[in-house]
Formats: sequence, C-alpha cells, structure tokens
Amino acid sequence: MRASFDWLKDFVKIDAAPEAAAEKLTMTGLEVEAIERIDGDAVFEVNVTPNRADCLSMIGIARELSASYNVPLVFPDLNVVSESKELDFNVEITDPELCRRYAGRIVRNLRVGPSPDWMKKRLEKCGIRSINNVVDVTNYVLLEFGHPLHAFDLKTLKGSMIRIGTPKSVKGSAGLKFKTLDGTERDIPGDSLMIWDAERPIAVAGVMGGLDTEVTGATTDIFIESAYFEPTSIRRTSKKLGLKTDASYRFERGTDIKALETALDRSAILMKELAGGTVYGKIDIYPKTFHPIEINVRYERVNKVLGIKLEPRQILASLNGLGLEIEEQGSAAFKVQVPPYRSDITMEADIIEEVARLYGYDNIPAELPETCLGGDQKKEDIYSQDLKRDVRQSFLKAGFTEAVNLSFIGADELDLLSIPADDARRKLVRIKNPLREEEAFMRTTIVPALIRNMLHNVSHGNRDLKLFEASRVFFSTGPDTLPEEKERIAALYFREKAKTLYREDAQDFYVVKGILEAVLAGTGITDVSYVRSSEPFLHPGRAADIIINGQKAGYIGALSPAVTEKLDLKASKPSIIVLDIDIASIMSASKRKATYRQLPKYPFVERDTALVLDAAIEAAEIIGHLKSYPSDLIEDVSIFDVYQGTGIEPGKKSVAFNVRYRSPEKTLTDAEVEALHAKLVEHIVGKTKGQVRG
Amino acid sequence: MSDDLKQPFLDELKSVTSLSDAAALKVKYLGKKGLVTAQIKSLSTLSPDERKQAGQQINELKQFIEAECDKKESVFKNDELKIRLLSESIDITLPGKFAAFGSEHPLSKTLGEVIDIFTRMGFSVEEGPEVELDQYNFEALNIPKDHPARDMQDTFYVSDDIVLRTHTSPVQVRVMENRKPPLRFIAPGKVYRCDADVTHSPMFHQVEGLMVDKDIKFSHLKGVLITFLRQLFGPDIPVRFRPSFFPFTEPSAEIDMGCILCKSAGCRVCKGSGWLEILGAGMVNPKVLENVGYDPEEYTGFAFGMGIERIAMLKYSIDDIRLLFENDIRFLRQFS
Ligand SMILES: [Zn+2]
Repeated sequence: MRASFDWLKDFVKIDAAPEAAAEKLTMTGLEVEAIERIDGDAVFEVNVTPNRADCLSMIGIARELSASYNVPLVFPDLNVVSESKELDFNVEITDPELCRRYAGRIVRNLRVGPSPDWMKKRLEKCGIRSINNVVDVTNYVLLEFGHPLHAFDLKTLKGSMIRIGTPKSVKGSAGLKFKTLDGTERDIPGDSLMIWDAERPIAVAGVMGGLDTEVTGATTDIFIESAYFEPTSIRRTSKKLGLKTDASYRFERGTDIKALETALDRSAILMKELAGGTVYGKIDIYPKTFHPIEINVRYERVNKVLGIKLEPRQILASLNGLGLEIEEQGSAAFKVQVPPYRSDITMEADIIEEVARLYGYDNIPAELPETCLGGDQKKEDIYSQDLKRDVRQSFLKAGFTEAVNLSFIGADELDLLSIPADDARRKLVRIKNPLREEEAFMRTTIVPALIRNMLHNVSHGNRDLKLFEASRVFFSTGPDTLPEEKERIAALYFREKAKTLYREDAQDFYVVKGILEAVLAGTGITDVSYVRSSEPFLHPGRAADIIINGQKAGYIGALSPAVTEKLDLKASKPSIIVLDIDIASIMSASKRKATYRQLPKYPFVERDTALVLDAAIEAAEIIGHLKSYPSDLIEDVSIFDVYQGTGIEPGKKSVAFNVRYRSPEKTLTDAEVEALHAKLVEHIVGKTKGQVRG
Repeated sequence: MSDDLKQPFLDELKSVTSLSDAAALKVKYLGKKGLVTAQIKSLSTLSPDERKQAGQQINELKQFIEAECDKKESVFKNDELKIRLLSESIDITLPGKFAAFGSEHPLSKTLGEVIDIFTRMGFSVEEGPEVELDQYNFEALNIPKDHPARDMQDTFYVSDDIVLRTHTSPVQVRVMENRKPPLRFIAPGKVYRCDADVTHSPMFHQVEGLMVDKDIKFSHLKGVLITFLRQLFGPDIPVRFRPSFFPFTEPSAEIDMGCILCKSAGCRVCKGSGWLEILGAGMVNPKVLENVGYDPEEYTGFAFGMGIERIAMLKYSIDDIRLLFENDIRFLRQFS
C-alpha cells in the first residue's frame, strides 16, 4: 500500500518528519518498507499484514498515527445536501448472506472530463492512473476510506433496478459468460456473486464491473454503488477468475460495513464538486444490522502474558485513539466494543497485542524463563539424530562434499535410469501446481540429482568429484493419504582417467566400497553383505546390493555405460560410482554399545595358501567356506591376492588367503597348526573344487 | 720394537681414502698374518721379563691401530650412507596425494549452529512429515481455507487436503497433540513455497521453536531470542522487536537485527534501514492451544521461526539463493 504523507496529514495534524512518522508506524506494526520523495511529498510503501484491512486506506494509517502520537483524527466533510428525493429505482438482494448491505446514490447531469491536478497527483503517487473525474472519485475514496465503490452508467441499466445474487439464485444457472470492463470475456461460476439490472448481469460483485455499463466520456447519469460483500465469497470468485483488483483485495480482507455509507457520501460530495450534476437521495438496503462484538479484558492477564507491570490506567491509556469503545468493569477488568473496521480483534489476546504494540515491544523487558534443566526428548530420537550426524561426518571425513538439492524430480529422470514401471520408485507424489514440469514430483531417489550435479560440475571443469546428500525421499501411498517419507544417504564418485600425479592402486568400485564399509563400521554394523545387484542403471558386473540384517538396504556400483552415454558428459573414460542407502536400515542395525574384551594372552600363528579355482567363485564364498570350518582356533581369515593371467589357465584364478590361528589357552605348536591348516585346506579344496597352487 | 710399526701405520693411514682401504689396512696390521699379529706370535721367543714389557707395548699398539681404523671406517661409512640417502631423495615440493576432507554444505553448517545453540538452552529436536495435511499446515494453526492469510505462503498442493508443508509449524501441532506441557523444542527441516527468484527458492529450510508452560511470557520470548541471536551473530548485535501478524500467534512479532554487512549504517541488503529481518515470533494463539486440547488459561507459550537460507546468505555474504542448490564444488569448498 502506497500512502502519501501529505494526504495522511489531512487527517492527523502532526509536525513529525516523514522518517520519524514512518519509524513510528514500523514500530507499531505497520512496516514502512521504503520512502519515496515525489514533488516535496514523501510516499510511504507500507506493508499491510492481511489482518489489518483497515490500514489499506489513508484514514486507517492516519488512525494509527493518531494513536501513536495521541493527536485526534480529523474526518473530511461528509455533509451531502441531496437536491432531490424522488427516485424511481429499486435494489433487491437475493443472496443476503453474501451481501449484507447494499447502498447507492444517483447523480444526474454531470460532465465526465479530466480530474483536477491535485487529485490526479494524489492518485498517481499512490499508484493509480487517472481515467476521468467520475472513476477517479471512486478510486480516491477507495484510497481515502479503504472502501471500494463502483460507478455504473445509469442510462445503460435496464428497468431502473439493481439485483444482487449469484447466477444460481437469480437464474438457476450453473454459470455464465460475462465481459468485464477490461474487455475480457470470462466464465463466471454459478456461485459467484454478481450485480444485475432488470435483465442481465452488469458486474462481478466486488471484483470488476462490466464493459456494457462502464462510465464513458458520453455518460451523464451515474449510479454509485457502495456495498458490503462477504469476504470469503469475494476471495473464492477472485481466485476462480484469476482476477485480483484493488476492490477484491479489500473486500476479501473485510471492509467496514458501517463506513460504506460514509464513503458513499464522500464520493457524492466529490462527484458534485468535480463533475457537477444533481445528487439524489441515498438508497440503503441493510437487512441485518451489524452488532459489534464485546471483549472482556483482565488487567492481570495483560501483565501476565506480556511480562510487564502496568497500572490499569496505563493499559487503558495505551488503547486511546484506536476507536475502541472501552467500559471499565471494576478494578480487575474492562470491556471493549470493537468497531467494524477492526474485524481482526475477536478475543482478549488481540487486545493484549494492541496494548503491547502501543506500549512498545521494545519497552517490554527481556528475561530468560525459569525452567527445569534438560529437554524432554526421547532417548531413541537423540540416538538417531546423533547417528545421522555421525554418518554425514564420516562421508565428509572420507572426502565427500555435501550437496543439497531440491526435493523435486521429473519423470524423465527415472526414465533415464530405466526404472521399471512396477518399481517402488515409480510411486511418485505429483504436485498439482509445480513451477516447472521437471519439478512436478517429489523425488523417490537422490541419485538423479547427484547426476545433475555431476553434469554441472564437469561442464564447469570441476573434474574431481565426490558428492553426497542426505535427504528424504517420498513414496505415494494413494491419492488421499500422506506419502511414506524415508531418509536416505546417497553418494556419487566421479573420476576421469586423466593425467594424475599418483596412480590409484585400487579400482574405483573398491575405493568407494571401502568408504562405505568404514561408514557402516562406524555405526557398529557387523552384519552386512554384498550380493550382485540388478539395479537397471548400474554396470551389471560392477554393482552390489548392500544387505544389512538380511534386507536390501541400498546399492553401490558403477553407473552403467548405457546411462552415461545418454548424458551430455564431456569427459573421457569417466569412472562413476554411485551408492544409495536407507538410513532407517542403518539405524535399526546399528550397535554402538561397546564392551571391553580381554586382550589375547598367547601369540598367533599365520598360514598362507594359494588356490587355483574357477574364476566365477567370489571372495565372499571362499571366506564363507573358511569361516564355516568348525574350529575354535581360527581367529581370522582374509584374502590377500587374486590373480588371473600368465601361468593360470583361462577361466580360472588364483586366490591367496591368510588364516590366523590362536588359542585362548596356550601357545600353539607348529605341528598343531600344520595339521589344522592341512585339514582346512582340504576342506576348502573340497568345497571349491580347486587345487592348491604349488 | 712396536714403535717400528706405529710410524709406518700412521703414514699408511694418511693415504687411506675408502672404506675398503681402511679394511685392508686393518687386515695388514691386525689380520691373522698381519704385522702386529706376527709380533705377538714372536713374543714367545723372548724371556719372561722382556715378554711382559714388549707384550704390553704391542697390546697398546694393537688397540691404537684398532681404534684408528674404526674411526676411519666410521667416517667412510657415514659418507657412504649420506651418498645413498641423497640418491634416494624425492621432490618434497610436489603436492601430497590429495586426501582433503569434504566440505559440509553451508546450509547444514548453519542449521547445525542454530540447532546447537537451542539444544544448549535445553530445547529438544523434533521432526515431522514434509508432505503434510492441510489440516496441520493451516487449519490447526488458525489459517482457514479462503482466508487471505493463505496468501502469505504460496502453497504447493498435492491434493485439496494434502500440501507440501509451507513451514515447520505443523510439527508443533503434532507434538502438542501427543504430549502435555511443559514443552521446549525446535523443529528444523525443509519447507516448500511456490516461488523462485534471487532470494526465494521453492524449497528452503526453517527452524521453528516452541516453548509452552504454565508461566511463559512475551518477555521470555524476547530473552530467549536475544540470547540466540547474540550467540549466533556476536554479543554486540543490536536487536529490535516490532509488531507483526501471524495467524498462529497473538501478539506476533518480527525481529530485526542490526545489519551485519554495513554495521547498521544502511546498505543495499538492508535497503538502507540498517536493520535485517531475521525471525518471526509470537505468543501462541489461544485458539491454537485450544485446537490441541490445552487450556489457554492454564498454559501459555511462545513460538518462533527463521529461514536458514537467509541466515546462511547473511553469514557468508551469498547474494543469490540458487547458488545454494547448484552444488558447484567450487562454491561448496569455500565453506570447508
Ligand atoms: Zn546494511
């Protein structure tokens, strides 16, 4: 809302500089966001919160100044001398719950022409273009009183009558087409309130007038409308039509049902002054009179909620100037009658806010509450929050940089990954009003965002990439229920086989898997295994599902070249590893309770053996066989060499493993170990159908 | 007799130039067929008296030669080690094999700082769904359908009754429904509004907080939030409270802090005012307390909320919110 300081001073005689007045308004709740200097005047850009419709006007803002400065509010001249009372004109409200009051005045024989400069300037300073004297007067009064008015060309109205009703109530119709004065033909829903003459609709009530009844240069007689329309009804119509006007903006926030009369009189005076003509008597249909609400306010409650110690007279004094009618009720309380322009005040707390803002928030002391120590958080929640923080920290320490992406995804991003139609990740939550089609769904996987980040970075020459993101993903559970939200952590490792100073001694898959193992070990997870993954977007030979406690918790693997080819990735022979893991799975398997175990007393003995076996037999199987051998003396087994090539038959490989033997009771002798190891080798040879490599 | 050998040894010692020369010299005098060894052997031909004296002399000579040779040898050994180590030298100015830590995202970093301050004040941390019922996001917070207050938050809709939460306030309602006062917690998380430009992102992060108990006052709200801002931005930061409007609080306040960029002198970011809007807050609206079954006569509380993007952008002087979601590592690494 733009407000001219000169104009405000018509209603409140203060000497303050505009900056000081603006500061005062800001500190009492009407934030002045900017002050613009125009022709020696200062124009305030006021941020009016939705509860303060009354401040969408000069009088409303002036009233705030009047209350802050304790200077009385001065109203403009409102005495209309009606020159004739004869009127052959009828007003009929068919939907009284949508239109609680309808008033109007007829002015005849006026001359439509340009407005005087002083009016043009005031309108323009407040952001309204001058059209002609008649329309300008309605806009001027709109700015002054915050009450929208509409002027019809009286001669275009059929049958000397106005009706107020919806297409449904007036014509039993489910909707109709109507041309508004901006020249647009619009579909008006059956439940939108309209203004009609004897034959047809002539305006969308409270939103915009019709083209056919618009005031033009040839107009001589007018009907000025001043009405109270139900806010929610106007809001619904404005939303449905996608049409927001100065009038609808005020009606939907609530106008002053009493002051509509004042605004009408003020417009009649200005009309006569600027355009001449004869003003006729007022028509006023007001089926149900407004009854102000009354609120009981306790002095003690005011002090208790705010943390101050004001005397009753101080509390009452702070409310001066707001136009509230106050009646003292003994020593403990007072009664407030709320004027219609303050529809935001409905309860004691609202009055407490009025006291607080006029007393000044900065005058209320600041103190810390006296309270018991410690929060009331559940132990499990603390544990899980700590664990999540630790997992993120582990990725950071492993060199991964944290990404934060928007939660949205486009369906084509799942197509890119060849996610099948029956995959859970296709259970997408659709947003009805997305900003862009690429952001029309809530994501079910983080990986596409990391791929996007990779493309961005590589195209900007950032070629050494390790990114991770921890975020929720969303799976639809049906159109009327909330989706399932799951927390996941995903990472992307990108390395281009370009010039590097030092060679990487392990394949990238193992580099990332090593980090994952460290992260999981850090959470105390012991039961984790890896099985070949069938994720459609991963390299089938270089991808594993991560199995925790027997359940798939995620996957790790090289991005399939089939996917990489479809990306506009300007890199030669890139190696891209992605991993994605469910946080709840980590959470439920995590064991972080440590118990001390005695250190071993006796030394260990190690034996190494190399086997030649079928190349398809994987490490996990060999380890499994070794570990399943029934002996308490085997402390640990590990594979330390895998070799294929010269000296080994094609289709075979050599696998060397190390076994560490130890007894908790004594030092093992060479002979004992020799015998045990021979049996173990025999066992593994039998299981793998391999041969000991000589 | 032994003097006959000492001088020639010393002469020869002077011409020793390598470890092998030194070894050879040692063998020449002290070896099995060495000159000194020969003299020791010839002692048996002497009379007992002569033998004792000569033996002593030869022994001294032997020890002398031994020590001199060892000294020489160790000099050459040191030299050889030096030469070998020198040959093993590497370019210590080449960079190390890069193993830097990753960088925490500036939003996580800021969020972590905010959470830490409140947890130190005894607030717990609560979470709730990001896709939320209209009921929790609006209605229970005193924002009915068809109310202009809905214009304050441009909402993404999933259906007529399901929205992407526009703030983390619905977490407050969910917690209050399930617990009785006293309550003291914050609700951090992602929120959504359909708006996108240099200062608005359709997804952003909020931290909201709530404290409800028997005797909670507006003055407590001021105390807690001033403490928070001073811990986050420094003990001297000016703070002011001014009236505002939120449907779920009454009275409501907007909290400004002195502009940290221009030290309150007025700049582009603070639009010349010297103040930056940083928090929204207020006393919980009695209607909200009633909605969750609390008696507003018995309990009062305050609630507050802040945008993490705004705080991060101010703290790190970031002028375009989109940078925060582009994940360009040249940007992200600036916060490690
Ligand atoms: Zn500044």
